[in-house]
Amino acid sequence: MTTIDIGLIVTGLLLLMVLIGVRVAFAAAMAGVIGLVWVFWSKKGYDPNQFFWALGVAAKTAGQVPHSKVSSQALSLIPTFILIGYLAYYAGLTRAMFEAAKKWVAWLPGGMGVATVFATAGFAAVSGASVATSAVFARIAIPEMLKIGYDKRFAAGVVAAGGTLASLIPPSAILVIYAIIVEQDVGALLLAGFIPGAVSALIYGGLVVLMATVNKDLGPSVSGFTWGERFKALPPALPIFAVVIIIICFIYNPFGGDAWGTPTEGGAIGAFIIFVMALLHGMRWGQFKDALTESAKLAVMIFTIIWGVLIYVRFLGFADLPGAFSDWVTSLDQHPMIILIMILLAYAVLGMFMDAIGMLLLTLPVVFPAVMALNGGMDVTAAESAFGMSGWGCAIWFGIIVVKMAELCLITPPIGLNCFVVAGVRDDISVQDVFRGATPFFVADAITIAVLIAFPSIVLWLPSLLLG
Amino acid sequence: WNVSLWGKRRAFTEHVERLAELVNEKTDGEFTLNLSYGGLSNNRENLDGISIGAFEMAQFCAGYHADKNPSITVLELPFLGVSSLEEEIEVSMAVYNHPATQKDLGRWNATLLMPSPLPQYNFVGVGDAPRTLEDFEGLSVRATGGIGRAMETLGAVPNSMSATEVRQALDSGVVKAVAFAPHAHMSFGTIESGDWWTTNMNPGTVNCPVVANTDALNSLSDAHREALMSSIPESLQHYVDNYNNNTMEKWGPALDERGIERITYTDAELDEFRSAAGSIAQNWVEENKAKGLPAEELLDLVNSTLAN
Amino acid sequence: MAGTASVLTDNSFLSRLDQRLFSIEKILVLIGGLAIFSLMVMAVFSVGGRNFFNRPLSGYVDWIEQIMPLIAFVGIAYTQRVGGHIRMDILIGQLKGRPLWLAEFVGTLAMLILMILLVWGSWAHFQRSFDFSVPMWSRDSSIDIGLPLWPAKLLAPVAFFILSLRLVIQLWGFGRAFATNAAHPVAVPLIEDAATQAQREAEHVSGLEEDSK
Ligand code: NA
Ligand code: NA
Repeated sequence: MTTIDIGLIVTGLLLLMVLIGVRVAFAAAMAGVIGLVWVFWSKKGYDPNQFFWALGVAAKTAGQVPHSKVSSQALSLIPTFILIGYLAYYAGLTRAMFEAAKKWVAWLPGGMGVATVFATAGFAAVSGASVATSAVFARIAIPEMLKIGYDKRFAAGVVAAGGTLASLIPPSAILVIYAIIVEQDVGALLLAGFIPGAVSALIYGGLVVLMATVNKDLGPSVSGFTWGERFKALPPALPIFAVVIIIICFIYNPFGGDAWGTPTEGGAIGAFIIFVMALLHGMRWGQFKDALTESAKLAVMIFTIIWGVLIYVRFLGFADLPGAFSDWVTSLDQHPMIILIMILLAYAVLGMFMDAIGMLLLTLPVVFPAVMALNGGMDVTAAESAFGMSGWGCAIWFGIIVVKMAELCLITPPIGLNCFVVAGVRDDISVQDVFRGATPFFVADAITIAVLIAFPSIVLWLPSLLLG
Repeated sequence: WNVSLWGKRRAFTEHVERLAELVNEKTDGEFTLNLSYGGLSNNRENLDGISIGAFEMAQFCAGYHADKNPSITVLELPFLGVSSLEEEIEVSMAVYNHPATQKDLGRWNATLLMPSPLPQYNFVGVGDAPRTLEDFEGLSVRATGGIGRAMETLGAVPNSMSATEVRQALDSGVVKAVAFAPHAHMSFGTIESGDWWTTNMNPGTVNCPVVANTDALNSLSDAHREALMSSIPESLQHYVDNYNNNTMEKWGPALDERGIERITYTDAELDEFRSAAGSIAQNWVEENKAKGLPAEELLDLVNSTLAN
Repeated sequence: MAGTASVLTDNSFLSRLDQRLFSIEKILVLIGGLAIFSLMVMAVFSVGGRNFFNRPLSGYVDWIEQIMPLIAFVGIAYTQRVGGHIRMDILIGQLKGRPLWLAEFVGTLAMLILMILLVWGSWAHFQRSFDFSVPMWSRDSSIDIGLPLWPAKLLAPVAFFILSLRLVIQLWGFGRAFATNAAHPVAVPLIEDAATQAQREAEHVSGLEEDSK
């Protein structure tokens, strides 16, 4: 039996364990340890006397991974981004954002829906977590929409879909995770998320206006806010923009001159500013402790999946499965773009059943090298590549597409988490209602993804302008 | 055998690539070295992997973890006066063959096979070039470990950041100068934004040996071991030729293309650097004596090898 | 994908053990949270020191790398107690009564075996970096300012050991639930349907909102 066979069998075992409900992090680690024992034992010809040697080498090889992989400066952005999101609630930024958006765009058809989309996009700029964003806006935006006669499915769908923007628009934990797994520059990926996130928000907004225009019952417009009210609503929301600008300035200084530091520092300074704002807004120790505990729990969950999956990846290194998979994919007699689209469809199906972070972590170690090979390799130039972009560009571009796919899975049945959360907040709205309301947004997402595939420069323009 | 390297194939790994080819040829494919770039271990855990027996051969750098291999960190001291890759090989092998070094690496069940000689680090920087010792006062630099300590004695301010953040730190002015070997200056893009390069400051380099698992080495058949050991000189020769001809060949034109000014220090200035940093070697001896190492003997060995 | 679960309590020995361990886990996870906060404070010192005093925080990266294991590991048992490690519960969520307790027992046992192997492996990793006979007991140090790595490496086996204790309690709980065919067993995380979970998540978030007014 070759190491590739072992790789395939163990990978099958991993999927089986995940399917029957073993916690993802531990299923991956277990598959990795079993695979390592198998590989080492096979080197000794399955000599029974050598089994414990193989077990020991496997346990010790796996035992290095947790410390070695989490001790990383780039990963420190993840807990920082999570904490920023929690502190932002206490700083009162969420409601301020919604109030400002409402006063500026509510006059449009479906205007409150558009306001919700823009407010979630704005909040996304300080929050790294999609589910939390939907939960907050279900609480703030839905009551106001229902009060003025919005269709409840429509209102719920807007909130569920709007929440997904948080992972594309930086700061985004999931983009950092992608960067780490595929070993790309974190700053470049975060920058790359901005414009696609904004494009997504605009497409959502356009869809809302269109639907409300066609069907007048969905959401009436609201007029009557004066310019004075509009401008008065801005200052409370401004801190969000200040923090966004500060984080950007640590990656690249748009005003000319020196940037202020590194992305790692920028994330941490942004969090610190929001912490100070939350204190000024009246946050006390009990609430701060809550934010710390919840952030730590979420961070541990993510880090455990990271090291668990990396134990499995370490085994894959010994089995050389990613190499074999990308050889297989590139040998297929199909146009690379068709294969890429098949891969994305597979993600869409997987995403119906899996959590976004777990899905990306489990698949990327094998899928990413294959996609890079399809394009022509890590060092390919744009002119010679299959997708018309350099190796570096392809790595960034695929990251944004795949994160957008992962976001889509938050609003697709049967396990669309954002929809469950919205239904959970509102007793009068069923999960089916929310899924029904969110359905038009799949279409919007499909359009967004098609646009990003057709025009990669939407993704690559900003990072190559600023860092290239 | 599985061989754990990291990054991708580059000048720095050419000797291992060559070694694999030679061993394969000499044994008619019976003994193969499977090179893995990062798949088997993290670069800072390669010695751990050797010690466990997870793979049989690996490359690592002494400076990644001084406490794991105090003996070979002597080769990373600043201003030793190494002037060519050949000299770097010679002095490395002298230290590798010292019983204290062999005992030090023996704790990891590792046998030192060969160095991966790198030229001395030098600075690429932005803004006004430091033309005298005083100009280093307050200059923020990216230099880790021993080179960082050496720069501190000159009044420079060492910053720490990972290599991938270096380019951005230089662009953004977080640091004004970065110390790397030429190939790293090219691959991490510091020359894209740099204005000047110090040609002969030579504040030290990193020492990155290739080791084998001792048990695995001992259990090789005589023919296979002979095939391995006899291929080492040729592999090193290939490495040096490749580095001198391909990498360094690109370096000069790369500097010229970008209009990077070469800053060359006079012997008198270099002596000044050396005396300012003189206490570092002494501190190294003190610290490593405490770890039970014949530190003075190792330092003398380095100096006497280089004097010949 | 489950992210939270509820745990019932009563006055039994098992439940008291569960709650005792939980009180330790709560302290540990808070330490993890404070470690996250310390990342921010360090960044302020690093940026401030560099810009205002030309004195950057020496070994900034080394310190971050030391703190990360604290964030990643110490809360691992707490997260298991509250059901925070995600899993796919579409299939297992369909089971009820004894078949469910049996399935949970087997899954927990597998996790426990894994964690015992990882305690062994990560302890060996710690041991290779630790030596009583040398200064700072250090046989492995960080790249820039040479911080000893053994304290950070020690966190992994310690946290994994506490997680193993947690798993033993849960194993006992599921075993007892299976044996007594219990409807509402104590000391084990109970699967909630997605809606209940979402409700809890939403309540938590909106709780944050109200608090801050
Ligand atoms: Na975000
Ligand atoms: Na879904």
